[in-house]
Amino acid sequence: MYLMQVLISGLMLGGIYAMVSMGLTMIFGVVRVINFAHGEFLMIAMYLVYWLNVLLGMDPYVSILITVPVFFVFGVFVQRILIQPIQESPATIKIFSTLGLGLVLSNLALMLWDADYRSVKVSYSTAVINISELSISVPRLIAFIFALLVAVFMYSFLTKTDLGKQIRAVSQNRQAALLMGINVRKIYMIAFGIGSALVGLAASLLMPMYFVYPSIGLLFGLIAFVVVVLGGLGNMYGAFLGGLIIGLVEAIAGAYIDPALKEVFYFIIFILILLLKPSGLISMGRGSEEVGL
Amino acid sequence: MTNLTNTISKKNKHFSMNVFILVLAIIGAVLPLIWDNPYTMQILILIFLYAAAAGAWNIIGGYAGQVSLGHVAFFGLGAYTTALLYNFFGISPWIGMILGGILAAVVAGLISYPCFRLRGPFFTLATLAFAEVLRLLSIWARPLTGGQVGVTILFNPGFKNFQFFGKTPYYYIALILMFLVLIVSIWIERSKFGYYLTALKEDHDASEALGINTAKYKLYAIAISGFLTGLCGAFYTQLLLFIEPLSVFTSHLSNQFAMIAVVGGAGTAVGPILGSVIITPLNELLRGALGGDFQGLNFVIFGAILILVVTFMPNGLVGFFKDMKAKINHRSESK
Repeated sequence: MYLMQVLISGLMLGGIYAMVSMGLTMIFGVVRVINFAHGEFLMIAMYLVYWLNVLLGMDPYVSILITVPVFFVFGVFVQRILIQPIQESPATIKIFSTLGLGLVLSNLALMLWDADYRSVKVSYSTAVINISELSISVPRLIAFIFALLVAVFMYSFLTKTDLGKQIRAVSQNRQAALLMGINVRKIYMIAFGIGSALVGLAASLLMPMYFVYPSIGLLFGLIAFVVVVLGGLGNMYGAFLGGLIIGLVEAIAGAYIDPALKEVFYFIIFILILLLKPSGLISMGRGSEEVGL
Repeated sequence: MTNLTNTISKKNKHFSMNVFILVLAIIGAVLPLIWDNPYTMQILILIFLYAAAAGAWNIIGGYAGQVSLGHVAFFGLGAYTTALLYNFFGISPWIGMILGGILAAVVAGLISYPCFRLRGPFFTLATLAFAEVLRLLSIWARPLTGGQVGVTILFNPGFKNFQFFGKTPYYYIALILMFLVLIVSIWIERSKFGYYLTALKEDHDASEALGINTAKYKLYAIAISGFLTGLCGAFYTQLLLFIEPLSVFTSHLSNQFAMIAVVGGAGTAVGPILGSVIITPLNELLRGALGGDFQGLNFVIFGAILILVVTFMPNGLVGFFKDMKAKINHRSESK
């Protein structure tokens, strides 16, 4: 029963990781940039949720209506202003540009709001649903349901709509996409925007059960990198599956070994993947581990 | 004929570089005799230390183009090895320094090898994650490392213990460390090994097609880089006589090493020194002047500098000066 409980809470947490990672892999797959500021985007979004709650009394779940559009626009701007001028530069240049952005964001947060841990106070943050002997945290359940909905939504968006097909076309072959009359620059901005909006959504779902502090971005960024490599770089479905797996690993390692060492397990998984199956769980074909960079 | 002029101009280039190093060494050696104020000495020591660490980063990150964002892992390994060997077994930090460097080199190789068989961002991600893992392990392994509290090195000054009362001995050791890295960098630049690294950076496929074993040379580069970074960490331990996870396993240092090299000019021998001369005093100034009121401001500024540099002068200050020189030469030729 204890194991069941551990697995369920791990799976629920994995939903959040999946959402953050789907954003990262979207940006990587389409724009071919590893966003080293991804964790910092999440951190800033969490502060946004926090301040909306403290100053305006807004419920974290209602703040979705603000965080998602705000971070979509933010992502579009980052792509337009920061990445577009160096789109054709070597990968190292892009690494440093997003790293620089991450440094600015995390230290701006430190400067403005200190290193304090902050959390929103909502009545349901510790609420649980009891099913026989299992208890499920309500905020985690909500986050998990949202993650599932987002995965389904992204799937139908990418396969059914015209814009989604354009995004996939660009990620598969940007030259051919350009020749087919797709506005590749616009698609880059939209993809970065969507990747960033997913982070905004994740922040709203995280805040009822987590606290925020300036360097939390490093932790979530790291998790997202591991998930994305686990799932296969650039692969949305892989990122979803990878997020759930990492959530499970974290829960099991935390319950049976030592919660202080959970990152060590992420890293072991990371190295194992590189050694055994570098193209990730859901391979996009031979050599796909070598995309881009 | 062209061959001959090529060799001569190459020799001239080497000659001016050699003279430059010699002048730099003489200035460095004489400086404490005429200007020995403890505060400036401390700043100079840090400039040399960061120049050395950034130069070590540059061997893998600049010459080989494999960006590491976790070099603090090797720095911390050198620091902790030295500190623990001395405190637990009384082993001289001079020996600890070498052992720490070797450990850092071996670990660097082990972590990097799986990544070097692949292309893509794996190496960058692996180094980032590994540094974080070491930070957590150093906090977790309390009986060995003292956990969050850190390690205080037993104070017993003397040359054998790598501990001194004044700043001057540290100054000269830091200077030598910086020159060691500089000379290794120049050796790489002029050797076949360096050409292999440049080739695999510029065009991975083509260099493999030419028969270069890219994984092998990347491995050599990370091992050298890890070793030198480990030495820097050991020096840091002896300079402060106190280390903690927060100071020798912080991601800030990884970023700083990389940033100094990139701002100065990645893939050049003098770039990291130039970068450190600018960034290190600025960092100390910002931290000292603003204190706790605006903590983080230094990194806000550095992040912005990093973005601007890679966007507008991707080859750093050295590249910028080279372009200027080429423009001036071009103008005088056309006249």
